[in-house]
Amino acid sequence: MNTDGGKTAGDKRYKTAWQTTGLEYLSLIAVMAALVVVFGIIEPRFFSKATFLQVANDVPAVVIIAVGMTYVLIISGIDLSVGSVLGFSAALLGTILTRYHLPLLPAILCAILAGALCGLINGLVSVRWQLPSFIVTLGMLEIARGATHMVTQSRTVYIGGKIGAIASTHILGLSVPAILAILIVIIGQIVLSKTVFGRYMVAVGTNEEAVRLSGVDPRPVKIGVFTIIGLLSAVAAVIETSRLEASDPNAGNGLELQVIAAVVIGGTSLMGGKGSVVRSFFGVLIIAILGAGLIAIGVRDETKRLITGVVIVAAVILDYYRRRLGRKSAGFGKE
Amino acid sequence: MKICNQISRFFCLFCSVTILLMVSSCGKVEQTKSTGQEAKRFRIALIMKSLANEFFKTMEDGAKVHQVQHTQDYELLSNGIRNEQDVMGQNAMVEQMIAQKVDAIVIAPADSKALISVCKRAQDAGIVVVNIDNKFDRATLEGKQAKIPFVGPDNRKGARLAGEYLAKQLKTGNEVAIIEGMPGAFNGEQRRLGFEDAMKTAEMKIVSSQTARWEMNEASKVVGALLPTQPKLKALLCANDSMALGAASALRSANRLDVIVIGFDNISAAQELIKNGRMLCTVDQHGDKIAVFGIEYALEILRTKKAPTDQETPVDLITVQNLK
Repeated sequence: MNTDGGKTAGDKRYKTAWQTTGLEYLSLIAVMAALVVVFGIIEPRFFSKATFLQVANDVPAVVIIAVGMTYVLIISGIDLSVGSVLGFSAALLGTILTRYHLPLLPAILCAILAGALCGLINGLVSVRWQLPSFIVTLGMLEIARGATHMVTQSRTVYIGGKIGAIASTHILGLSVPAILAILIVIIGQIVLSKTVFGRYMVAVGTNEEAVRLSGVDPRPVKIGVFTIIGLLSAVAAVIETSRLEASDPNAGNGLELQVIAAVVIGGTSLMGGKGSVVRSFFGVLIIAILGAGLIAIGVRDETKRLITGVVIVAAVILDYYRRRLGRKSAGFGKE
Repeated sequence: MKICNQISRFFCLFCSVTILLMVSSCGKVEQTKSTGQEAKRFRIALIMKSLANEFFKTMEDGAKVHQVQHTQDYELLSNGIRNEQDVMGQNAMVEQMIAQKVDAIVIAPADSKALISVCKRAQDAGIVVVNIDNKFDRATLEGKQAKIPFVGPDNRKGARLAGEYLAKQLKTGNEVAIIEGMPGAFNGEQRRLGFEDAMKTAEMKIVSSQTARWEMNEASKVVGALLPTQPKLKALLCANDSMALGAASALRSANRLDVIVIGFDNISAAQELIKNGRMLCTVDQHGDKIAVFGIEYALEILRTKKAPTDQETPVDLITVQNLK
């Protein structure tokens, strides 16, 4: 009903677009602020610089994968293999460094290539045989985890200080992984909203058939997106390995659901066609602050899981009202 | 399109090669089985928890080495489940072993209660059952009137050993925190109790006790979030080494290297940390021997038909002195 209203009044739409942008992040920032305040009241020591530095230290890997996951959800796909691909890249990195004693840079390159290759295979297989990415990546989840255990022989590989340098180097108070994550979010958002590739992603997610009929091949877009998320999972693997100075064969177990939850909290639709990288970033932050807060106030594990579940659903419900409000004030349907 | 076709052709080739390999390896298994029956040696099934865990992998490797040295005595059928919570999978595995009429089952149960019924069924079918690693719940065993011998370490004692060694480095009233294993896991509970025993005796103050589900990354998160709220924390008692590694990395990020970390399991990565002073100690419960002890005990019962009793296996404290 309202959909056509905004399109007729050109300059009005321009003004309200700004309002919606503000509104877009408002609900997420409100949730974040609410969490910080609540935890700060219960445990005053939570409200400290150390807590925020710790959160900033914790999130980069998840943020980086969330950028990729946003893309995948936008093209109405899903990637369940991110955790395993992270584990596999980390295992390769650890093994190459300790068993073959390669220098750091080539080893990292190998690990990242391996991750991108996993993503490429996901993309190629789901496109070639027109399979749902759910099932293809579910297969990759098992394949990559199996390969991880083969490579590491199910043992934690201790690497030591040389790789730790990446995570422990700080520039202007921020760790290298945090800076890298912020850069990837910015670039990710620009690619999504300002480039042809970004437009194609949204188009493929909205109506793939229409894209095909208008003479654009959707297949390279899909393959590209899966390769990107594979690559980003591997970058996250390098960061995690550097932080822990070791590669754990079980690294990234269950990470896929954590990332999907964060991205969905950020308002990206599981149905495809819309989403925002910056909002996914906020989604990750919400989950991270929630996790840190629950540990700080020291609740029991079962309560922790219960509260996390409630917050995920509540954040999505809040987002529903934000969208309705946005639609009314802006006067057009799509954000 | 052309590329896609080539890829699909490659895939078909790849799949057929994999299937061929699988078929040929199946053939090998059949062969060993038939020769096994001719020699009339015992068939022992080793049912493990997750082989994705280094500890159980070590356990299985130990058993395999032992089997190679005693090929004339027994044949080993070794199986593990997907993850440590896969109770259903393990249950099905015991059923399969009953159907295969093995002589003995040596089992590290994923759950200390849920696996008792199926093990009782195995016993009723004339199979010797030996419980290793994770001890069956005594009350449930009595309720089912089942007698299953346990061969394994006393986790509580091991944790107490490590806790007592840690206490020597601390002063009375110091604040410590425990990083627990998977909630509900018997060995995790025992280790927590052991740590608590030692800390209470030494009059330390336990300010927090939280789970990190046995995982390195999770432990790093938990410890990271704990540190800002516990400025006076002096030590972290971790229920396994993976979590100790995670804790050590969180301490470095937060620049709190004064906090002492102790672990459990003696994995190789933890040994590195102990050598360079970032961990104080760990506990070795000789994972490579646990399954072997279980198998040897099963063989003994099979040969002598004697009434089974519980057997305790050694636990040792590992510090920088042992590692030199």
